[in-house]
Amino acid sequence: MTGTRTLKAFVAAAALSLLHLADVATDAPLGLKLIREAHAIVGAPATPVSVAGVARRTTVRAAAATSATAQQQAATAQQQAATAQQQAATAQQQAATAQQQAAAARPAGAPPVGTVVNALPSGCRPEIKGGVELQNCGGVYYRPAFQGNNLVYVVQ
Amino acid sequence: MQSPCSTRLTVTLARCCAIAAMAGFALGAQAQPAGIAPEAQRLLKASTDFLAKQQQFSADTRITLEVVLKSGQKIEFNHTARQSVQRPNKLRAERTGDLVSQVFYYDGKSLTLFNPQDKVYARLAAPDTLEAMFEFARTKLDIVAPASDLIYKNAYEILMDGVTDGFVVGKAVIEGVRCDHLAFRAPHVDLQIWVQEGAQPLPRRFVITTRDLDNAPQFAVTVTKWNLKPTFGAQTFSFTPPAGAKKVDFLPR
Repeated sequence: MTGTRTLKAFVAAAALSLLHLADVATDAPLGLKLIREAHAIVGAPATPVSVAGVARRTTVRAAAATSATAQQQAATAQQQAATAQQQAATAQQQAATAQQQAAAARPAGAPPVGTVVNALPSGCRPEIKGGVELQNCGGVYYRPAFQGNNLVYVVQ
Repeated sequence: MQSPCSTRLTVTLARCCAIAAMAGFALGAQAQPAGIAPEAQRLLKASTDFLAKQQQFSADTRITLEVVLKSGQKIEFNHTARQSVQRPNKLRAERTGDLVSQVFYYDGKSLTLFNPQDKVYARLAAPDTLEAMFEFARTKLDIVAPASDLIYKNAYEILMDGVTDGFVVGKAVIEGVRCDHLAFRAPHVDLQIWVQEGAQPLPRRFVITTRDLDNAPQFAVTVTKWNLKPTFGAQTFSFTPPAGAKKVDFLPR
């Protein structure tokens, strides 16, 4: 494992700057867009870290969040099924109704809940929901958070 | 038909290239010393030990990061930072530059990340030493404090870990300060470090070259100002949210 720590330290220092590359607003100057769109390789130490890599990581995270929810739903469904078929049927019905309701509440084409984005879409306004200030962007709510050194927005 | 000006430029460039090529040739032609030269090791250790002994200091740094596009074109990003350190457990790091405006606070109990432009901050309880905090921030939160490699008390071990070759290149001047120029080689990366001559062997610059990437992009830090007798105030290391600042969460890694 020699060298690993050194590399880590350097990658870390580099990643710091790197993560900010991913933090480019959509109306950023050309140069920054270029970086974002190009599968740029960051020259910082040791590992071929890329801006594209950061985007992929975000995608993975969003996907992981979605599948966790799916697993939870599956587990819940199994439990209910074990209790009684009738109850399970009712639960499924309720779940279906809930899903329908949820779908109705969110605009069509809304990104999946848990998706992490680096910049908000245009036309957002702050709105307090459950004591937390969120950004309402055309009916889709985003919560600001730090991901590493990077300010991101999580779809609610 | 070229204008005289561009002709002159071309000639100048050609000369520069020729000089660079000669220098390159000269270096390339020299057999690189195998192994780690004891003098290079000694100079680096003197530097890291000296810094480890400083109970408090601040450093202004200029950081350059190269990005290589898929086309092979190199793009450079720059930012400046100021690190204020009080051992064993206080740090403030401010960064401004391309795309960056952020302050990192660590008061020995918690760490805070604040984006002044967005008026957003996040805060979390943190371990009670600088070294443990760096580890925590990096592994649990993906957060990095700039130039933390130099702040570690065991910076020498960290820097030399995996190094196979090292030698003293010679004398150099960085930001007007005379230095010893050291070069080291580890798997995947080359490291150069410039250490101030004399009784205060401060690191003045380091460059990391990632040689197994196309166009070997570099990451460089130059210390433009060292202050070994800084005056820190009550607000240096602890963050008081300004009016209107909003607290947000850190996403788990």
